Amino acid sequence: MFKELDPILHSQLRLAVMSLLISVKEAEFTFIKEKTNATAGNLSVQVQKLKDAGYIEVIKQFKDNYPQTTCKVTPEGVKAFEAYVQALQQYLKV
Amino acid sequence: MSQTEKFSAVESLALIESMINKAQNKYSENGTLYLLWGWVVFLCAVLHYGLLTFTQLGKSSSLVWLLTLLAMAYQLYYIARQQKNAQVKNYTDEIIGYVWIVFGVCMGLVSFIISQIGSWQLLYAFILLFYGMPTFLTGAIMRFTPLKFGGILCWALAVCSVYVQSREIILLLIPAVLGAWIIPGYLLRAKFKKSING
Repeated sequence: MFKELDPILHSQLRLAVMSLLISVKEAEFTFIKEKTNATAGNLSVQVQKLKDAGYIEVIKQFKDNYPQTTCKVTPEGVKAFEAYVQALQQYLKV
Repeated sequence: MSQTEKFSAVESLALIESMINKAQNKYSENGTLYLLWGWVVFLCAVLHYGLLTFTQLGKSSSLVWLLTLLAMAYQLYYIARQQKNAQVKNYTDEIIGYVWIVFGVCMGLVSFIISQIGSWQLLYAFILLFYGMPTFLTGAIMRFTPLKFGGILCWALAVCSVYVQSREIILLLIPAVLGAWIIPGYLLRAKFKKSING
């Protein structure tokens, strides 16, 4: 019996964001945008979905009078990502 | 990146792999602090030996090492600026930072202990021993072999220092910083430039 893939993670851009954040301690929105080649609008929506799921933490602050958004993966996000990779591996064993 | 909802398990794994590589390829070490400390220690060692050998200054010639306080001040400013401008913080940089903090604390403590006990002949052996530790560990964490070789060189020179109990012991610092910090520093700088342009 296959585990169902987490619908929050089984989306190209959200999975890309999670894969980036899982490898670093925290990253700025501009860094994620540059690495994923996503538009700011689309990325904002997907980041919000990940935040609502509790997979990432979004910190908004000001740096030199400019708004700065930093994202970091939460322990819950790490668990979800690991479960997602395990589920993928199960699919690929067939 | 498009927002395609349906993609295969193989595509998912390929995407994960490519994003993890992208995150890791951001090479953040540009070698500046290695070069700073390498050249400062190089200069201090040459000046200290030169003043001891060619002048009558005696013990006060060791005051040239106060130059390291300037280097320390610049380092604090540099790190603060780097942290402010960093777009991404990764675990590797954090661990390396702690390794060098441990080095700084150990160097400070050993200098204090030796100055209290008065066993100056041990100072250079300990300095070389401590130079080797963070250099080798950083090389291992960053998977950067020149730093590992630099660390081993420092340890070899620490052993040599036992047999050089004259003022020439100061000169052992020169090959140590050349091998551990200056050459790796230039190599790191080249690698950093390549990662930016490539």
